Amino acid sequence: MVRVFLLLAKLLIRCISSGRDFALKLYRAQRSGDLRKLFHATVLGLAGSILLVASLMVAGANPVSAISQLLTGSVGSASAISGTIREMTPLLILGVSVFLALKAGLFNIGAEGQFLVGSCFAAATMLAVGGPLGVVLGVLVGAISGGLWALPAGYIKAFRNGHEVITTIMLNNIAVNLTKWLVSGPFKGEKAVSATTATLPINSQLTPLIKIGQFELPQAVVVGILLTVGVGYWLTKTTSGYELRAAGANPTAAEFAGVKTKQVTVKAMFLSGSIAGIAGALQIAQFEHRFYDGSSVGYGFDALGVALLAGGNPYGLFASSFLFGALNKGGTSLMGLGIDKGITTMVLAIVIIIFAAIKYRQRGGQND
Amino acid sequence: MNLAVEMTQISKRYGDVQALDQVSLAVEKGTIHALVGENGAGKTTLMKALYGALIPDSGLIRLNGDRVTLKSSREAIAQGIGMVSQHYGIIGELTNLENLILGAENGPVLTPAQNEQRAQELAQQMGFEFDWSAESSTLSPAGGQKLEILKLLWRNSQIMILDEPTAMLSPQDSDALYASLKQLAASGTTIIVVTHRLPEVFEHCKRVTVVRGGCLIADHEVAEVGATQLAEEIVGGSVIERPTPVSSASGVTSLAVSDLEVKGDKGQVAVKGISFDLKAGQLVGIAGVDGNGQRELFHSIIGYAKPIAGSITLNGDSWIGASIGERIIAGLRVIPEDRHHEGVIEDWTLFENSSLGLQRLAEFSNIGAGQAELAPRMAEKFSTKHGGLNQKMGSLSGGNQQRFVAGRALEIYPKLILAFQPARGLDLNSTTKVYREIRRRCDEGATAVIVSFDLDELLDFCDRILVMNHGELYEPKPEEARDRTAIGRLMVGAA
Repeated sequence: MVRVFLLLAKLLIRCISSGRDFALKLYRAQRSGDLRKLFHATVLGLAGSILLVASLMVAGANPVSAISQLLTGSVGSASAISGTIREMTPLLILGVSVFLALKAGLFNIGAEGQFLVGSCFAAATMLAVGGPLGVVLGVLVGAISGGLWALPAGYIKAFRNGHEVITTIMLNNIAVNLTKWLVSGPFKGEKAVSATTATLPINSQLTPLIKIGQFELPQAVVVGILLTVGVGYWLTKTTSGYELRAAGANPTAAEFAGVKTKQVTVKAMFLSGSIAGIAGALQIAQFEHRFYDGSSVGYGFDALGVALLAGGNPYGLFASSFLFGALNKGGTSLMGLGIDKGITTMVLAIVIIIFAAIKYRQRGGQND
Repeated sequence: MNLAVEMTQISKRYGDVQALDQVSLAVEKGTIHALVGENGAGKTTLMKALYGALIPDSGLIRLNGDRVTLKSSREAIAQGIGMVSQHYGIIGELTNLENLILGAENGPVLTPAQNEQRAQELAQQMGFEFDWSAESSTLSPAGGQKLEILKLLWRNSQIMILDEPTAMLSPQDSDALYASLKQLAASGTTIIVVTHRLPEVFEHCKRVTVVRGGCLIADHEVAEVGATQLAEEIVGGSVIERPTPVSSASGVTSLAVSDLEVKGDKGQVAVKGISFDLKAGQLVGIAGVDGNGQRELFHSIIGYAKPIAGSITLNGDSWIGASIGERIIAGLRVIPEDRHHEGVIEDWTLFENSSLGLQRLAEFSNIGAGQAELAPRMAEKFSTKHGGLNQKMGSLSGGNQQRFVAGRALEIYPKLILAFQPARGLDLNSTTKVYREIRRRCDEGATAVIVSFDLDELLDFCDRILVMNHGELYEPKPEEARDRTAIGRLMVGAA
């Protein structure tokens, strides 16, 4: 009896000490960085899932069937995946737009407005010119008009130190009303009853690049992928991209390093707006085929979350825009269960907050 | 011996770092005691333990023979201990009187008349003069230091800890400060001075304690120790010699400045029409008390501040209107004053930081390849300690960041080196190495301009010394070019 007890005690002590060793190892590893990132990603995923389950239960749904519905609706079939990619496309390109501005130290809340202005003028151009040439010119006009729409915010930030968050929000409001007026008047389709342009002729509508049964790969998402890779390369491998990142990370040090930070601010804002304009133009050419009042469902605002969730890495935009796209698409199919689509938005928002908190903690930790 | 302070076997650990390892310190009452050591040796940690700003892991503290446990600075102040830290806490917007009583008010209602009377008494006792209703932003660095000492007297401190009290002062002001300190000591106050300036130790202190790497190394009566021995104890090995600087100046003018006027950040004219010619090969030191226009001069040569009048030329090319980038291409290399804000990006890796400021040079035309090739050389040049070049700059200590920034500035064919307090955060031997490398670049034909508030450092390494005072530039007479006292007089405008 005593022997058994002793054995048990020994075993217990060994368990405790090996447990402590393991904890110590884990602690050291998480201090070393890589594991820490993995750890954070796991925590983020877990927290998001728990929140999703909890909120579904609060909403009165069976979490198991709701989540399976969410998955089926977003990635469960070829057509569901196509729908997710369709949702993902504008989010990816707008994500690149916001991401680029963030790297220059600018928070471009105005992606929504630049997207609207870009898609509105692109639609008008495509309709006026027609054919494939119309699409090319339309994308170009979308880029330029989106860029010009962002430019005042860039100039005000650089030369008058007016905060870009305020100015871009104001520009968003103007964009909404300007485009509403344009499609109610000058750009209004001849036979249109509501505020909308005419529909693009068939030869101006972008067809899917690949179409296998129900699965479609739109050309626009390929452009988005190329843009992401291109911007990623530019930021990390070129001198001007390096200077842009320096200006964003520490403007005074960048100035001392010979970077003209004011010019960088203006340039970054223009480029960010152009990319948002391209997103708008492609949205018209590939998916909507016309511009109408209310044609953006707030992609520009979702893109802020996409860019933030990507962390510092441009390729993170693929994952984050896919996640947003899948939840948007899957959320729609939740409605069949009587659950409001908004529940996925809420979960996304909380995930972003947790993510931001982790990022902030890491930054704070550096100084101790 | 009557000991005011007796710290026995004090230890303190931060994570993996043993900041203090059984360090003991005994200070005789009514004396000036020096605590010396390099940056990171544990001086400040030890003093914080005495001031209650941190609680040691182990060890005893006795004050006047009685054992005490100091859990906070408030308790230490109540025991009569006072401390002036290196970056002292005078608030410019308050008046001198308000600063004096800040945190030690007599009650909820201020009694200015009464306070001023006591302030005046304390000042007279020390031989200081203050305009009590003036804003403290008008004080000189020496005035600020004096006000800090009065603050301690106001709180009835019997034991004063002064961290690098003369770091910002001219030699004359330093001497005056020590004269007051001696008077205080004679009246029974105990003073502990944390310093790295050995001449001060020999001239003014009675005993000296040396710490290095968190350990107690030596404890001497100052009269019984030699300068070389003390320096070696501080460094922990032989001290690299500092031979008398020899100029390799050619006859060719490189940097020429004439009638330069620059405004400061408060709109005042900070540089008042100064002119000078520097030759290729010269290593020039600009001495002066902080805030006499050195910063603005520096910024205007870099191109960060726009002069309101005058000209700057390098090798005959005008730099008025030239961008910072163009100046860098022409050979400008900078070791900036405020490395956190001006020199590095702490969120970036060492690789990424290696090209900062040099990104438009041919060496970095392929930026990734350039970083891979040059970052290791820049880090090695002054033995930057780092955990890998792909680690963030923010993970390095201040001294190591400084080593890296200095290495970067001196790596790629500099033509004009501008350095503002290049030894900031560096130990004695690293300082010597940085100056040696600057000298080597000068021998190759570069010109170097060093701004420092430490005149001894400039005298040790520069072959020509200029002085700035109130925005004007002075050059000592040839026969007094290396005369510490004469230069000191120029620094305070008493020539």
